[in-house]
Amino acid sequence: MTTSSSRFRVAVDIGGTFTDIVFLDLDGRLHIKKVSSSVEDYARAIVDGLREVFDETGLGGRDVVEVLHGTTVASNALLELRGARTGLITTRGFRDVLEIRRLRMPKLYDLTWEKPPTLVERRLRMEVGERIDARGAVQQPLDDADVERALDRLLGQGIEALAVCLLNAWANPVHEERIKSIVHRRAPGLPLCISSEVLPEIKEYERTSTTVINTYVLPIVRRYLATLRTGLDGIAVRGPLLIMQSSGGLMTGDAAAARPMHIIESGPAAGVVGAQALAPRIGFAKLITFDMGGTTAKASIVEDGAISRATEYQVGGGIMHGSRLLTGSGYLLRVPAIDLAEVGAGGGSIVWRDAGGALQVGPRSAGASPGPLCYDLGGTEPTVTDANIVLGYLNPTALAGGAVKLNAARAHEIFQERVAEPLGLPLAEAAYGAHLIAASNMMRAIRAVSSERGRDPREYALFAFGGNGPLFAAGMARALEMTRVVVPPAPGLFSAFGLLYSEVEHHYVRTWRRPARGLDPADLAEAFGRLEAEARAQLAAEGFTGAAVRIARSVDCRYQGQSFELTVPVTAGASPEEAFGREHERTYGHRAGADEPVEIVSLRVVGQGLSDRPRVPERVNRPGGPDMAPRTPPPGGPETAPRIDRPGGPETAPRTPPAASRRAYFGPRAGWIVTPILTRGDLATPREGPAVVEEYDATCLVPPGARAKLDVYGNIVMEV
Amino acid sequence: MATRLSDPIGFELFKTTLLSIADEMALTILRTAYSGVLKDNMDYSTALCDAQGRTVAQGLTLPAHLSSFPDALAATIRRYGDRMRPGDVFALNDPFEGGMHLPDVFILKPIFHEGRRVAFAATICHQTDMGGRVAGSNASDSTEIFQEGLRIPPVKMYDAGEPNETLFRLLEKNVRMPVRVFGDMRAQLAACHIAEEAFARLIAKHGVGQVSAYMEEILDYTERLTRAALAELPDGEWSFTDWIDDDGIDFGAPIPLTVALKKHGDQMTADWTGTSAQVKGAINNTLSFTRAATYTCLKSILPHEILCNAGFYRAIEVIAPPGTIANAVPPAACAARGLTGFRMVDTVFGALAQMLPDRVIAASEGGNTGVTIGGYHADRTPFIFVEFICSAWGGRPWADGLDGNANLFANMSLPSAEVTETEQPLEILCCELIPDVGGPGRYRGGMSIRRAYRLTEDEAVLQVRADRHTFRPYGLYGGGPGKPSRNRLIADGRERELTAKITMTMRRGDVFIHDQPGPGGWGDPLERDPLRVLRDVANELVSLASARDDYGVVIDASALVVDEAATARRRAELRAARGWATPPVISR
Repeated sequence: MTTSSSRFRVAVDIGGTFTDIVFLDLDGRLHIKKVSSSVEDYARAIVDGLREVFDETGLGGRDVVEVLHGTTVASNALLELRGARTGLITTRGFRDVLEIRRLRMPKLYDLTWEKPPTLVERRLRMEVGERIDARGAVQQPLDDADVERALDRLLGQGIEALAVCLLNAWANPVHEERIKSIVHRRAPGLPLCISSEVLPEIKEYERTSTTVINTYVLPIVRRYLATLRTGLDGIAVRGPLLIMQSSGGLMTGDAAAARPMHIIESGPAAGVVGAQALAPRIGFAKLITFDMGGTTAKASIVEDGAISRATEYQVGGGIMHGSRLLTGSGYLLRVPAIDLAEVGAGGGSIVWRDAGGALQVGPRSAGASPGPLCYDLGGTEPTVTDANIVLGYLNPTALAGGAVKLNAARAHEIFQERVAEPLGLPLAEAAYGAHLIAASNMMRAIRAVSSERGRDPREYALFAFGGNGPLFAAGMARALEMTRVVVPPAPGLFSAFGLLYSEVEHHYVRTWRRPARGLDPADLAEAFGRLEAEARAQLAAEGFTGAAVRIARSVDCRYQGQSFELTVPVTAGASPEEAFGREHERTYGHRAGADEPVEIVSLRVVGQGLSDRPRVPERVNRPGGPDMAPRTPPPGGPETAPRIDRPGGPETAPRTPPAASRRAYFGPRAGWIVTPILTRGDLATPREGPAVVEEYDATCLVPPGARAKLDVYGNIVMEV
Repeated sequence: MATRLSDPIGFELFKTTLLSIADEMALTILRTAYSGVLKDNMDYSTALCDAQGRTVAQGLTLPAHLSSFPDALAATIRRYGDRMRPGDVFALNDPFEGGMHLPDVFILKPIFHEGRRVAFAATICHQTDMGGRVAGSNASDSTEIFQEGLRIPPVKMYDAGEPNETLFRLLEKNVRMPVRVFGDMRAQLAACHIAEEAFARLIAKHGVGQVSAYMEEILDYTERLTRAALAELPDGEWSFTDWIDDDGIDFGAPIPLTVALKKHGDQMTADWTGTSAQVKGAINNTLSFTRAATYTCLKSILPHEILCNAGFYRAIEVIAPPGTIANAVPPAACAARGLTGFRMVDTVFGALAQMLPDRVIAASEGGNTGVTIGGYHADRTPFIFVEFICSAWGGRPWADGLDGNANLFANMSLPSAEVTETEQPLEILCCELIPDVGGPGRYRGGMSIRRAYRLTEDEAVLQVRADRHTFRPYGLYGGGPGKPSRNRLIADGRERELTAKITMTMRRGDVFIHDQPGPGGWGDPLERDPLRVLRDVANELVSLASARDDYGVVIDASALVVDEAATARRRAELRAARGWATPPVISR
């Protein structure tokens, strides 16, 4: 790893506590660096981390082709309410749209429900006189004096950014544009977003909320990206900085600074993109991804090479309240995002007995602090990780190659006292029950993306990553009658790898309501042309032109009278009406008669900038041979791991050799079985379960009756 | 009732699976339904019931449908008993034989194993139209059930898998939008089908005997949780009366709703004896709807993990004499009974507030207001606009009532003004919070919503079902009542006040303005933190006058600061002037 002629792509994935840095050279060699995130200044941790790698390896900034980045900066600003002091200008009579929301709440029978605090307090929401009708005609001209007055009052109250969302601006942006010019004149430099540019889509609440979120996080994101760019320049990294979007595509730092609404769910997206990229190579057309860490578990779907996307989601409302039926819990953002189902279950979830005598797992979590009992950091309640210790699934002495010492006796003792005894069960049975119930809770996330969407999970392979995913995957797959489980190399670091597979991509949408029948193709082409021009201009600014640009068009349609739409691709030859009928049949199992009118609601364009070479080599070689595990935090709570600063490279660091075997419990029928403890490399020869594969960053459980082997790419493939 | 679980782990896994089947049924309807009532308001429910028709697991959907399935299944079993066969599907909507009101159509499917009935998949959906004299079958001014639409007693919709052509053809001729209604019914059938398959997998895994045993255990477990929670509450009897202004037919004749809650040990009874006789207007309840309102309140004050099933119902008895508005008999009209349900929630909370002062909220906005504007375009094609608005919560013993939020009893959404404007000859002129409308309190009532509509067609009929015009939402423990509801019409440049319940003609350019009533406040407003009052004033939710006269907080308007000395004086003045030393439990 010392040849200075090497050309590296660098992926940087920021988590709450750790920043993972992955170097991949163009021959497929991979190097890993893990540093503590500096919460006050995430950019500094990245630059310091890179500099350390350069020092250790003799590489320099000139060797870095590009920096790919997944970040939680925008979502943290939103969730911790640390965004800009934002003002809002809106049409008279509609001051409270942001606060009234859709009215519905995400909980039933709960008198303690509170709405999330509104991002713009009422005193900072100003009304102006104007009116545009639903067809876009100006009914009442904009009152300039009103705008000046509103602006003065807002500036007087110290706003740092301004959002504008007028009624029916989706149909005609003229008044918003006029306000923009007044603001530019009166308050040059004030960050400003107008809804007709941010999201020219019908529905005032959705458009206002999206515009406000974009405005609210814009100054912080812009500052962060500027600092990062300066830092990179300072260590001579000249390659472009590309940011992961919630949709799974990349965008340049400049684009992200203008539309930070696209990078809110940057973090969890990359792992799904990685799974999508690996799917065809490993021969699975249909995957359900399962990502489990210390506090949450997330599932998503990859099918026929495509990621499943939602057109809107609630930021901060991602944890399911038992199901997906109830929405309204977070901040509504109407931009495309990878469709993830999330449950609040992880290694830190607390195990307890309810008043009716049933065993429960979660939703409370011991989190990073105090963490599970076995970490001996002051935790007093048994967790899922403690159950896994009792069961012999996790190494009882230490995790992370010895970096985290464990107190298994404490886990046994308190689990016995708090769970097993009150239930009247033997310790092992109680722990096994907790393991099963945790799995059952997480299966709801898998069902949410499969059976609840009319898809049969049995047709899918389960692709498991995150620190805890591989420990639960086989059991969950069995319960759902799925037959295959895939665990990629370095599962605890998989999100950072995913960044390496992503492409530059931009999504555009515009409301365009017309009956589908009797549509003038020239009209449609013209409307699409305008969106496409926007996409091409953006991509050109990012260096993609000609054959490097790929454009996809689609339309949102519905039967007239329906209150929801389906997105269907627009292809030469097929009418949107026919394509919609087919999609309706596929999704809902039926279509209406031919005389039922179909309505187009919105047009969508996706523009991709294709890099001129494969993003990732066919095969990735990790130095040290196939059995070498990259260094990541332990399962059960990466947050509690100590700082680990080790460069990648030939395997030199001391490792605790895994014990050859230990007893593990597999339920009342199978009982305790002496279970071999393996390294990933041991699976070069296929093995029957039970077995435990211990790696630095994760532990993979192969239960009795399952069969595990390595494929040529180093993935563990289990038949369960 | 068993006292403990034989297998706490297997039980929990089974319970989670069964609940997820009920939720998956609900998601199937959400995914496949046509109409906005189902998609946006989730005005539907799903459940898995045992062979006797007892609800075991209900999907998380609409509180107003709690406990609707037992009556529907009992009526179906009464009529068909042992004559049910695999492949049968039953439908009904008759309020006097298992139903609730005509738009709510039940579709029920018995599930068989080796020829024996082992369970029911049950669904109820609010259909877009069931015929009758007014589109939507929802009119509040019908005076007998026969005006309200097509009545369906429990009948076979499918007979051993064969569709009942007679029923489908009758439906097609009697409902206004058969394509949409059949689309939504297909969604109900799909949900039943999903449940049947999932249930078969459960039996394959556990065996039919174990599945039945687990279902029985879920009911016992829920009953145990419910009784344990009830046992912790004080024993005694508390009663309360609230009023509906009138039924819209007999104008100005108040309708009392009275409940007595009797709690002894681990059992509770809600007795509605003393409640008004049934009325002419279409706001009469079935007993099942009265139960739904009662259970909604109790579920809100009991631990969240208690499930909505027959085990919960066992511990809480609901009594309502036949012939009352709480348990109507034919030929009562029922379509708009939602209003009575909302007021019953206020009534039960009024009684509970005496029993549990620190757990119960003051009266909310009184439930939704129904606004219907319908007529014909110039080309004689019809238009109909229907919207239900709810608004805000009463003050809580620990926090302000929510501003601009759905009602606890019906978690409905608010349609987008922009979408309405593209689809209807209407312009929405405002959708905003009304300052000062919530009752003052240490924790004030939430601020309710004002909506205004301008007609852009020549003529339309405006129908409004509002209430809380005479009887305002009450405040608790010193909190004041909310402001009454208000209807106004601006025509020819002149504004005039209207009654709460309206049927009238609107002309092009006329503007109808509705103010929802304000929720009540909780606790003595003179004890409200002056800084919270200041914040409300800065946000223009509370006026300077209300700050001074209701809260005794004097604010310097230009600097936006509290004048502390003047505030202390003003509060002393107000304290001396009012007639009480300890705050009244109820203010209205």
